[in-house]
Amino acid sequence: MSTDITISNVSMFFDTPNGRKDVLDNVSYSVTPGHFVAIVGPSGVGKTTLLRILTGLTQPTGGSVEVRGKAIDGPPDGLAVVLQDYTRSLMPWLTVEKNINLPLRNKKMTKSEVRSRVAESLAEVGLEGTEKSYPWQLSGGMQQRVAIARALATRPDLLIMDEPFASVDAQTRFDLEDLVLKVRKDFGITTLMVTHDIDEAVYLSDEVVVLYGKPAHVREVVTVDIGFPRSQIETRNDPRFAELRTHVYSLVRGLAEPNEAA
Amino acid sequence: MVAASVHLLDAIMIMSWWRRILLVLIGAWVPTAIVFAWWTASADSTNPYFPPLSLIVERFTELWFSQEFVTTVVPSLRNFAIGYALACIIGIIFGTLIGGSRTGIKYAEPIIDFVRSIPAVATVPIFIVIFGLDIAMRVASITVAASMPILIATIQGVRSADVVQVETARVFHLSRQQQLWRVRLPGAMPLIFSGLQLGLQIAFIVTIASEFLGSGFGIGSFTLVATESFLILDAWTGVILMGLLGYLINIVFDLVERFSLRWYYGQKKIV
Repeated sequence: MSTDITISNVSMFFDTPNGRKDVLDNVSYSVTPGHFVAIVGPSGVGKTTLLRILTGLTQPTGGSVEVRGKAIDGPPDGLAVVLQDYTRSLMPWLTVEKNINLPLRNKKMTKSEVRSRVAESLAEVGLEGTEKSYPWQLSGGMQQRVAIARALATRPDLLIMDEPFASVDAQTRFDLEDLVLKVRKDFGITTLMVTHDIDEAVYLSDEVVVLYGKPAHVREVVTVDIGFPRSQIETRNDPRFAELRTHVYSLVRGLAEPNEAA
Repeated sequence: MVAASVHLLDAIMIMSWWRRILLVLIGAWVPTAIVFAWWTASADSTNPYFPPLSLIVERFTELWFSQEFVTTVVPSLRNFAIGYALACIIGIIFGTLIGGSRTGIKYAEPIIDFVRSIPAVATVPIFIVIFGLDIAMRVASITVAASMPILIATIQGVRSADVVQVETARVFHLSRQQQLWRVRLPGAMPLIFSGLQLGLQIAFIVTIASEFLGSGFGIGSFTLVATESFLILDAWTGVILMGLLGYLINIVFDLVERFSLRWYYGQKKIV
């Protein structure tokens, strides 16, 4: 098993009142198991469309997505998601505990297994003791931690995150980035994340996929050859980090030519 | 308007106890003044249709703090409670099923639009034909009339569920039924409660109205018979009692709503 997710020639167009709008054009990419991959690109390039296709919520108009060798036609098994809009993806009428329980309903687990799974997941994200709170009683950063805990509680093989830290303040963002690195170290889940923050993409990832063009194609897959563990201060001061972020930034802005044909 | 009253209630909740008492006193001022004005203006009344309030109060205590309450009011309240409870259950369950089904709404919409266009009280004669002058007739008219706004609110609420919430449930592999009952339905509760409120008023009206037709018991019948027999004093006590009952029922409803939707009001307060 060399790849977890294989995206083969995925194309997507929408029929709009102004005619057909092509969004993705022959996007192909394979994700190595256990890798952390960030998808970046200019605003409106189709990052979220690609992510929706990977979650099985949208069917591509061309090509296919295989997860562990099986073409998907709906949300694949073992998938968990963290979305940007935590105020809407967490159910406001459920307590933190019940929000985390919700996806566990269909797993054959006893009550005590569920309870300890919830407690473990909350401990992983540093939110012990918030079981009985409602999400809206917590800060934005804490709500996003709950969303991450909910994802982890399902013991996913594949984690997909859509701009997970776009709606929190800068300091919280750094904290959550480091939380994601810790989760990655602890669980080694294959993770795909869309972000518009290039520093964040380089800081967290093994590979950064740059989408570019209308319709979008993979402009380059940039390998982040910076070792782990990473830290906000040292990694961000690493000359290699600066090189990579400058390169990715130029690709996103259309200023640089890709290093190799992707 | 809802938001304004919510803020008012929040403000009340954080107030110290003496300010709360003050506020209740301020709120009670106008009704007190009206009762006082009525009392003095009617004190020497000889008009048979507007007897002195003092006499009405006297008769009120005599009548309704006695066995009469059990024989006259309790049956009305029982019909109301059963009819409204059935309306809530039927409205919410069928509303959720219809709202959650892709084709359900197409079949159900014309029927619902037709039934809800019939004035609630006008169904009573039909149910007399079907059920006779029985309790079943009264309960059925209450249920049918009151379930309409609940059904419609539930359908709308379930259909307008938050896309992100539903998709989140989907990617976490909740089945369609689970998405419906565990995500769409609870998310629709704020809207459903406005339908429940409307249904409550209708249920109360139909409870009384169903007793106006050929019945021998209930508070509505009591008041009507009293009027027809020129027992004006008794009729007045009946009207006042209905007002008080309606008021109390609304207070209970508000408490239930506040409790059930505490997540909704709590979220709005913070956002």
